Amino acid sequence: MFRLNLKIALRNLWKNKGYTLINVGGLAIGLASCMVLLMYVAYEWSFDKQFSNCDKIYMVYNNMDANGKITTWPTTPTPMAKEIRDKIQGVEYAAHSSFPENQLISYGPNSFKKNAIYAEPSFLKILDYKFIRGNATNALQQVNTVILTETLAKNLFGNEDPINKIVKIGNTEGLKVEAVIKDIPHNTSLRFDYLLPWALLEKFDPERKELNWKGNNSLTLLQLKDNRFFDQVSSQMKGIYKRNRKVSASEALLQPLSKLHLYDKFENGKSVGGKIDQLRIFFVLAFCILLIACVNFMNLSTARSEKRAKEVGVRKAIGSSRKSLVSQFILESMLMAFIGMLVAFALMELTLPYFNGLLNIDLVIGYYDWRFWCILIGLSLLTGFIAGSYPAFYLSAFEPVKVLKGYRIAGSSSFFIRRILVIFQFVFAVCLIICTSVIYQQLNYIKNKPIGYNKTGLVEIPIQGNLSTESQLTLVRDLLLKSGAVTDVTYFSKPLNEGGNNSSSFNWPGKNPNDVFLFNYGSSGYNFTKTIGAEMLSGRDFSPQFTDSATIIVNEAAVKTMGLKQAVGTVVKKGDIPYTIVGVMKDYVSESPYKNANPTVMFYQMGEVSSIIARINSDQNISTSIEQINGIFKKINPDFPVDSRFVNDSFEQKFQNEQLLGTLSNWFGGFAIFISCLGLLGLALFMAEQRKKEISIRKVLGASTANILTLLNKDFVKLVCIANLIAFPLAYIIINKWLSAYEFRVSISALPFVIAAGISLIIAILTVSVQSLKVAKANAIDALKYE
Amino acid sequence: MIELKNIEKYYANKGVKSYILRHVTTSIKQGEFVSIMGPSGAGKSTLLNILGMLEEPTYGQYEFMGEDVVSLNERKRIELYRNHIGFVFQAYHLIDEMTVAENIEAPLLYKKVPGSERRSRIADMLDRFNMVAKSDLFPNQLSGGQQQLVGIARALVAQPSIILADEPTGNLQSAQALQIMELFKKLNEEEGITIVQVTHSEVNAAYGSRILHLLDGVIKEDVTVSQTV
Repeated sequence: MFRLNLKIALRNLWKNKGYTLINVGGLAIGLASCMVLLMYVAYEWSFDKQFSNCDKIYMVYNNMDANGKITTWPTTPTPMAKEIRDKIQGVEYAAHSSFPENQLISYGPNSFKKNAIYAEPSFLKILDYKFIRGNATNALQQVNTVILTETLAKNLFGNEDPINKIVKIGNTEGLKVEAVIKDIPHNTSLRFDYLLPWALLEKFDPERKELNWKGNNSLTLLQLKDNRFFDQVSSQMKGIYKRNRKVSASEALLQPLSKLHLYDKFENGKSVGGKIDQLRIFFVLAFCILLIACVNFMNLSTARSEKRAKEVGVRKAIGSSRKSLVSQFILESMLMAFIGMLVAFALMELTLPYFNGLLNIDLVIGYYDWRFWCILIGLSLLTGFIAGSYPAFYLSAFEPVKVLKGYRIAGSSSFFIRRILVIFQFVFAVCLIICTSVIYQQLNYIKNKPIGYNKTGLVEIPIQGNLSTESQLTLVRDLLLKSGAVTDVTYFSKPLNEGGNNSSSFNWPGKNPNDVFLFNYGSSGYNFTKTIGAEMLSGRDFSPQFTDSATIIVNEAAVKTMGLKQAVGTVVKKGDIPYTIVGVMKDYVSESPYKNANPTVMFYQMGEVSSIIARINSDQNISTSIEQINGIFKKINPDFPVDSRFVNDSFEQKFQNEQLLGTLSNWFGGFAIFISCLGLLGLALFMAEQRKKEISIRKVLGASTANILTLLNKDFVKLVCIANLIAFPLAYIIINKWLSAYEFRVSISALPFVIAAGISLIIAILTVSVQSLKVAKANAIDALKYE
Repeated sequence: MIELKNIEKYYANKGVKSYILRHVTTSIKQGEFVSIMGPSGAGKSTLLNILGMLEEPTYGQYEFMGEDVVSLNERKRIELYRNHIGFVFQAYHLIDEMTVAENIEAPLLYKKVPGSERRSRIADMLDRFNMVAKSDLFPNQLSGGQQQLVGIARALVAQPSIILADEPTGNLQSAQALQIMELFKKLNEEEGITIVQVTHSEVNAAYGSRILHLLDGVIKEDVTVSQTV
């Protein structure tokens, strides 16, 4: 029985190649899209879950009540870990570390700038990295030691045994390689290439030894003895800042390590989702696309029911029960899903590299992962079942007498359901088109929004090695300017696209002593605004013609926060040291381009600067300029890679999330539309066949081709129009919600809706016309002859 | 074998009942060859379908081999029907996607006949109808007469005790029709299979042993045919 059914199913598929192609194609694209999206979701989901105690590990966040709102950072005071260790019960381990930072590490002629973290020994007790050489118990205890990751060890030592060899860091300190650990996987939030002992940081920067609660510059991790202590520990953590520093406006927040990546958005000091929202969208999208493919199948199968009806009737008349008919139809759809899966598999293998390149991640098909196979096979079975269920129950319910007598069995109910299904598909497709276009509009809007400075042609070069003295910096500046490669040079204490340090210890005339206001602060060189192309609203840049050791430049937002009428000349104190405002610069985007700029104060302290910012000479070829710049730096700093970066490129990274969302919804929206159109094509194919006789009679009576086309297309156009009407409010709600997360956003215009309606209608008409034109042009007599 | 008592069939349309069958009471014995005749719309096919359990009477009693069919549940009915009834249709109704051999095999599959016996019965049928060479052809590669032969073979292969035929020769040329009727007669006489056929043709009806004349849903005449034709 099974074999015969299988044989007949195969024959059926082969006989109706067109339908098979549409069905299998739709299912394959649906399955492949779904799998790729699910793989992506699984990848994001797996973040930070590779540690054995990951469910008990928490990271301490700092909720700071300043500028009238609570802002949340992962930065905490260095002594906090010790305080937790000593005073709070229920905690197994606590540790602090620095944030990853690029540093030069070298062994012989091999030198690389790689990410390093300074950490306490207990850091390794919480995060159990896999040690390949050496062991975790005595690691990070001695000052001049280092733990390397596998790849870095290979790059530095090749095939040599790295243990107990001496590497150099920053070209100065020699460190003994203590252990080698496995590379930190991509799906980890805290990534680094080598680990250094905290004691070494204290040696480099003695200020770090001071156990004060003023600065927040460490990362604090803790591991609970058991999760039932969580409430107890968090209540003890309450007020930990105030207990140690009376004026502190901060409160600690424990965030599970496993939520670090996905729940990265905080509002009012509470975790309110973040990336997880996007992930949920993708998850739903995955199944919606699969569902659309299933709907296609249902549609086509029921549409073809008249052809199958006779078979059902005969089978019933010769003794088949309904159950065996249902199983036969389910078998057919399973078979279809299975073939679809094979094709989907090929599609996935073909598209994954592209997809990976697009998202800048590293997804691979886990051939040895049973979960992958389970999901793939489970999904195929599910697809086969869902797609086959409606047709199976619908077809098997035919009464044999009726179908055998040749009554029209395609009752109004099935036609109605088919329409609903088509509408459902198009609602989804139209929603996706609208959302995609709004995402792109928003992206464009933000990208074209003035950012307050001219980011094209700006290069950042880190200050390192021999450049640490002021005279060297001046020398480099002069060399750069003289070479003609650049037109302006300045220095800055942080990358231009980062917020940098902030502090609440600013005081100004008229400040209420109880209010806490947070200011970003940094140090810049001479001609800062001129170099980056920002605008000075009043006053002046730092300049060699003045002594600028006690002066500051503030931005517009800072003036507003301080409530100053006449900013230039006002004396502002940081701690107890007075500074005079000499200039007010227009706000420029350093952190989020979606938000207003934070109040910022700029000092002139050459000891603090960490990068050189230069504007490339626009009259000269860029690559020549870059070569000249590299040449100059190589000469001064032969041991260090130059590491120059275009500000433009790093600015682009701010849009990564939105770009990703846009690209994904673009692609998968395209797939959804494509699959829907396949379904429409199939339906038109069937409709045209069914109405052959009617059309022939109309033609005999004198209808023109255009008349017939209108007649045939009218029904489908109606469906797509209804779909549009349903999709509009739906899409409006979704997109409004999405946009509301942005401080700067486009207003929703009619354009995306018009585009969506236009695209869906045009595509639908084109698809249907391919088929109806054929019927409309066919010779009328052919259809009428056989009756 | 078959007992019909007061069978009624009507369709209610906007409160108006349109009768197809009225007060049909008759019995058919094992080994009879009955022809149901009457003008179009007389209810011949409906009666046959009720006999074949493809349709249910609105009212009345139907006993098949001593079992009350109307009160049987679907599973039992299918069981009864698989084992005892073979259907032959005017339009043959072979399954287009199956070969001749597979078409003949289908009812056996539903009866769960084991494979070796299936094969021998199919071979037997093909042999009997001289279609061995055609066993791998699809229905649309055969002539109408041949298709109807396959249809009959399919009805016979399950070894039913009764064959219900709805105008089995309606689509055939007279020579082929003759052949089919001869076959029916032979089956009836030699193997004792009960046959009930619906027909328009007096000639075909003459092959049977009994004729039921139906008019407007009522049995007008029930005559026994003398076997001299």
